[in-house]
Amino acid sequence: MGIKNWALKKSPWVFHFAASPCNNCDIEILDCLTPRFDVERFGILKVGSPRHADAILVTGIVNRQTAPRLRRIYEQTAKPCLVIAIGACACGGGVFKGSYHMAGPVDKIIPVDIYIPGCPPKPEAIIMGVVKALAIL
Amino acid sequence: MFQTLEELKKELGNKILSIKEHSPKRFYVEVKPEDVPEFIRFLFDKKGARLSIVSGVDVREGIEILYHMTFDREGKIITVRTLVPKPFPEIESLANFLPAANWIEREIYDLLGVKFRGHPDFRRLLLSDDWPEGVYPLRRKEP
Repeated sequence: MGIKNWALKKSPWVFHFAASPCNNCDIEILDCLTPRFDVERFGILKVGSPRHADAILVTGIVNRQTAPRLRRIYEQTAKPCLVIAIGACACGGGVFKGSYHMAGPVDKIIPVDIYIPGCPPKPEAIIMGVVKALAIL
Repeated sequence: MFQTLEELKKELGNKILSIKEHSPKRFYVEVKPEDVPEFIRFLFDKKGARLSIVSGVDVREGIEILYHMTFDREGKIITVRTLVPKPFPEIESLANFLPAANWIEREIYDLLGVKFRGHPDFRRLLLSDDWPEGVYPLRRKEP
């Protein structure tokens, strides 16, 4: 593990991309960042630009309008970066699998490192997923 | 609410096809497609109702469009209901005097194929640009 990866581990900055979700997973992500479950004490910050980010959190099943935009955001993020797919829809389609106007779950568009299933996953599950992601870096 | 319904019946009673009281709070008024702008103008301008949402369903005889007008202070909803015939459904647009109807009419065009005449900005809203023309996802499919 080189020095760049070591520097990344302590406080990754996350960028949140909602690719046509139902918005429940987004609410649970915000629950993680607010004072009750508080991951901000570890230095995890939600940034507004993918160029400042170390990790991309993707929620929702990707539809045909958001697929090229997700591809562009992934290319803009500086590597090495973690891609985390949150929720049953992002992992494998969820209830919307096979529906019209869908471009598939996230791993058909960009390579994913960590899958966090659940509908929506509890904040404890999201925190455990992020901790495991940092361990493989 | 009865009072508003009574006034509606008195003013435009000859154009109403039927009135159904679904529950103490919800009333369905069925009209012909040409009379819809007049009814909505009456409820919006004179009675202070608010257009909450427009919904559309594909039934076998045509496409049914429902305009839900709410009276927030009394807590009641009057729904104006029309049936537009297939295969070329068309109806007059309300977006020129009701800004609230602008996007929802674009969405109904996108997913059900109803053409709104006179809409100021008529293009698709939800489906992507490479979706083929003439394929409307929410219509009934023949088995």
